[in-house]
This record gives sequence, structure tokens and C-alpha cells, in this order.
Amino acid sequence: MKDYLELSELLARVRESVSDAFPERYWVKGEISSWSPRANGHCYLNLSESVKGKQVADVRAMIWKWNFPQLKAFFESETGQTLQAGITVLVRVQVNFDPVFGLSLFVDDIDPAFTVGEQALAKKKAIEKLTAGGYLEMQQELALPALPYRLAVITSKTAAGYGDFRRHLLENEAGYAFHLDLYEALMQGEQAPASIIAALADAQEGGYDALLILRGGGSELDLSCFDDFDLAVAIATCPVPVITAIGHDRDFHIADLVANRYVKTPTALADLFLDMYAAEDEVLDDLETRIRRAVADRLGGMSQRVDSLVTRIRLGLQARVHAHERVVQEQAAGIRLGLSRKYADLVRQADAAAHRLRFAAGARIGTEISNLALKEALIKASDPRNVLKLGYVLVTGRDNKVLKSVERVSVGDRIGVRFSDGSLTAKVDQVYTENIDKENIA
Amino acid sequence: MEEKFDYAKAVKELEEIAAKVEDPATKLDDIDALVGRSNALLKACREYLRTVKEKIDKLDKE
Repeated sequence: MKDYLELSELLARVRESVSDAFPERYWVKGEISSWSPRANGHCYLNLSESVKGKQVADVRAMIWKWNFPQLKAFFESETGQTLQAGITVLVRVQVNFDPVFGLSLFVDDIDPAFTVGEQALAKKKAIEKLTAGGYLEMQQELALPALPYRLAVITSKTAAGYGDFRRHLLENEAGYAFHLDLYEALMQGEQAPASIIAALADAQEGGYDALLILRGGGSELDLSCFDDFDLAVAIATCPVPVITAIGHDRDFHIADLVANRYVKTPTALADLFLDMYAAEDEVLDDLETRIRRAVADRLGGMSQRVDSLVTRIRLGLQARVHAHERVVQEQAAGIRLGLSRKYADLVRQADAAAHRLRFAAGARIGTEISNLALKEALIKASDPRNVLKLGYVLVTGRDNKVLKSVERVSVGDRIGVRFSDGSLTAKVDQVYTENIDKENIA
Repeated sequence: MEEKFDYAKAVKELEEIAAKVEDPATKLDDIDALVGRSNALLKACREYLRTVKEKIDKLDKE
């Protein structure tokens, strides 16, 4: 009737034949090419196989959540290595085909010894070859300058480690200066060895004091490129000292082995150079201290001598000062005595002067007194009352003023006449000018 | 000394100065000059460690 199959029918048949064909569990060798543990606890991964850098097989796989934690812990404790992509493993799998999800392998066991052996074997072979070729010592024969200044960093520009290194080196507190150039290279994956080799070739022409291979953080995927034989040869034969900072705590890499020296982290790499400068600074400090101390010792001897001289001079001076003091005191006593004599003389002189003054003043006062007596007698003699007693009178006019002539006196005026013992008023009945005629008056 | 500062040479001279200053036979009058010279060398050396030397770089590069 119908001449086709539903897809589900077809895939159901595939499933059947797969489970028929692979009834058991199989130990399989493969490289973990992708690795993603999920929040639900299962771990999804890809197992692949490469031949000469070319992938020849790849399959999805998974580890169920009831197996995964134990399996991972077991592998890591046995190998000292994180279970992750890039590792070649020997795992026990069950082949499974699902009409929706396709082919996948369920992993339920792992053989850590295989991974260790596999890597160790590959490494051992490479190391043997390098040793035989005399590559291990080549970089050791190169001396890093006492103060490396020009540095070439081979790394991927985006690597966080490069930023760390750069900052740590160039922003050092002591203020040491360096020249840094970046040579970009791939730091992971199959292309990494060739890329690093090219960068090394390029940088070794740049007149650098050292070339630094810096992996610089990121994920710790596939570090096997640093075990690459060709890269090892390139490092070993580089005419400039190569320092590696690949940063893998548990293991060393062949690149580390052939390099002039190696460190773990970008920060440690920066410290390597900073420490060399700091050591040089210390040499300078020590020399300065030596010179200062020697000078201080010499001056110390000097100052002791100066001190004793000063003491001697002080003592000598004191003796002289004392002698002078005595002289001065004697002189002062003499002066004091002379002064008191002089003072007594002055007092005497002053007394005499005062006496003379008092005497002169007394004489003067006597004279004044007799003058006064004379003036008093004169005044007394001219008193009008005394004149009146002699028989003269004072005649006063209308305004009660003394009349000294007849000029303003008219007939009929009332006049006053004052005697020494009283007065009277009178009326004028005749005024005569010039000579008074006695008869007329009478 | 101005054009190309030889760091290693300067350090060597500093060592010689230290030895001279430590030597009791060195006259006090000379010590003053030695100390002055050592101060100048120390300053130059410390500066050298902290100086960007780009002039030399350009000659060597490319």
C-alpha cells in the first residue's frame, strides 16, 4: 500500500538495530572536545578523535546526574587534573539511539590511569627527544640582563592576564620603568603552537631583553599546546631568553621545561622583573648606608676631638673670666668709695648754697619791708580825712561828685559840704570866678 | 655621563667610593667630595631604574 516509511518507524528500526548491535558497554578512548555540565545535574559532552590535527570522529555523549559528581571527583583526585574539554579519556559507554535526539553515548565509568598514562607517555617521549637534541640546556645558557628593560609579550590581546601583567609591571609603586610590546598569538587550540612559534620568530628580531609567553587566564582549556614538540624546539633555540607564564598549578609543561625560566601567573611574571629592580635598588641603598655610616664614624671621631677641645677652651676661658671678675670687683669697690666721697662733697656744697640763698633772701625781705612802711606813711598823709581835720572841706555837686571848680556850678544849685566830723547842704546864691574876695564871702 | 649613562659603571664607582670613605687613610677633606659624588651617582642610578629609555629603543627597533 504505502511505499514509504514514517520517519519514526525508520528511526525505531535504527534504534533496534543499534541496541542489537551494541548490547554491552564498551571502553572507548576519546578526547573531550566539548564539555557542559548543566544546572539539572547531567553533563553533556562531545567525544572526538583527531588524527594529525584533523577530526576523524565526533559524537555526543552524556553523563547522568546520578553518576556525574562521583565520576568527576574520582577522576580529578586520581589525575590531579580537572575533568574538562581537551583531555583524552578512556570511558565506559553504552551506545544509545533516540529517534528525536539521535546517537549518543551514555558514560558511566572512567579510567583515570589511562589519561595520566597517555599524557605522561606523550610528554615523556617529547622530553626524551628534546633531551637527546640538547634542547633543555639551550635557554639556560642565555643570561637575562641584570636589568631587563625591553620586553616582548606573546599572548592573546584579549587575555585578562595580559592586562594584569601590564598593570602590575607598569604601575608599580617604586616607579620602575619598562618598555613593553605585544606580539599577538593564539594561546589555545590546535593552531596555538604554530601561532606562538611565528610570534617568537617575529619578536626575537626586536632587540628585546626577554620574550614572555603569557597564557593569561581565560579558561584552562587544552593546555596541551604547551607540550607541543615543535614549540619546545622554537623556544629552546630562541637566541633571546624566553620566560613562560602558562599558569597551570598542578603540572608543568614542556614549554616551561625548555624556557629560560617559568612562573605560574602573570602577576608572578611582573614580580620577577620588579624584584630584579628592587634588588638593584637595595644594592644602591646598601652602598648609601655604607658611605653614610663611614662618614658618620669619621665625623663621630672628629666630634669627640672637637668636644674635648671645647671643654679645654671652656675651662681656660672660665679661669680667665674669674680673674677678670676679681679685677672688676676691686675696681668697682674703688669706684664706689670714690663716688661716696664725691657725693658727700656735693651734699656739703648744696647745703652751703642753700644757706647763702636763705641769707640773701632774708636781706631782700628786710628792704622790702622798710619800703612798704614808707609807702604806708605817704598814703596815710594823703588821706582826705586827715586833710579835712586841718580845716579843708569837700564840696559835692548835684550828682554827689566832688566839685573841683566853679565851672559847672550855677546859682540856686544844691551843694553838699563835707567836714571831718559831718556834712551839710547849702544853696548857691553867688558864683565868682577867679580870685576869691574874703569880704564877699564873709 | 650625560649622553649614555652606564649603570654598571656607576655602581662600581659607588663601591669604590664606599671603600675609600671606609679607609681611615682617606683625608677628611677628600671625604666631602666623595660624598658629593656618591650622592650624584645614587641619584642618577635610582633615576635610571625609573626612566623610560625610548631613544635607545627606537634605534634598535625594526
